[in-house]
Amino acid sequence: MKNRTFGVILTLVIIIGLGVTAGLLIHGYNLWKQISIVEMIANWG
Amino acid sequence: MDKKKLKWQLAVIGLVVLLFLGIDLAIYQLFIKRVISHHSPGMQKMSVEVSDYVPFTGSENLYSIQGAVELEGDLPTIDGAAALMPMYAGFVESIYPADSVIYNGESYDDASAMHYTNTRGAYKDIVDGNADLIICVAPSQEQLAYAAQNGVDLEMVEIGKDAFVFIVNSDNPVSDLTVEQIRGIYSGEITNWKELGGPNVPIAAMRRNEGSGSQTALENLMGDTPIVADYTALFGSPIGFSFRYYVTGMLAEGGVKMLSVNGVEPNIENIASGAYPVTSSIYAVYRKGETNENVYKAVDFMLSKEGQEIVEKSGYVPVK
Repeated sequence: MKNRTFGVILTLVIIIGLGVTAGLLIHGYNLWKQISIVEMIANWG
Repeated sequence: MDKKKLKWQLAVIGLVVLLFLGIDLAIYQLFIKRVISHHSPGMQKMSVEVSDYVPFTGSENLYSIQGAVELEGDLPTIDGAAALMPMYAGFVESIYPADSVIYNGESYDDASAMHYTNTRGAYKDIVDGNADLIICVAPSQEQLAYAAQNGVDLEMVEIGKDAFVFIVNSDNPVSDLTVEQIRGIYSGEITNWKELGGPNVPIAAMRRNEGSGSQTALENLMGDTPIVADYTALFGSPIGFSFRYYVTGMLAEGGVKMLSVNGVEPNIENIASGAYPVTSSIYAVYRKGETNENVYKAVDFMLSKEGQEIVEKSGYVPVK
């Protein structure tokens, strides 16, 4: 694999990984803002 | 040489992929999994639906007594805490004209005589003049300071009581705590359930936002002992707090259990007798010097035989 190809693939993997991680955090934060303390404790064994 | 380089490149890409998978899995397990079932049908039942407590809609969740007092003329705008909504919606249904409540299906109209902005909004609104009578537990120091800064004295009339309760997951074997143990948890001195007779699992001491009624109740319980933020909360089994009727009457109770405190269960008998050690007074709050006679009529009604019956039938403990 050429260095340039490797660099492109690695960059894509990092961009996609960061995107998924950020998406998960944003999704979780939006849910957390809506949940009550009672619900959270019920979910949380 | 090329094969070796290719292996090295694939290994780097694979490691980066694994790193992200690990991070995302940890985020899911530690955070999202705990809140994600919020939208399941079971969890939906555990959210308070404002629309279930709208006066004059024939709601079975409200208890009202018509005919004792009928307000007319300048109607006080009434507001209050989420945990007390059944009570003050019951008052409104009893003494306000039916056309004074305007609910659009999601929220109350600005022109409605009844609003719902919860404790923080209600204390702000009564100081700002956007509400005339609010039904809440005691204000926080910050809320009292806000009133003082704006030259408003708050008159607080006790109309009922409820237990301030501590809740844990129903799988938690701990069922009783002393007041001192609760203070130990929230001051950061007690950090593991095994110190309280439970499993060797860290305690996730959950708190609410500043100015909420239950957070103020915790601050009052703690007295001069500072509440320490629990930075290990993601890894432990939680403890939280609320008011008894909010947990048992307004939300489906499944999944959590209320703890007894000092060996006393938070039931109506123990609250009324004073045996349960952590009760909170419920107040009708208005501005001192209020000139709207209807405010006094409404408060008198809340303390009357009929008003106290509404307090009791709505699930709280009357004071008379």
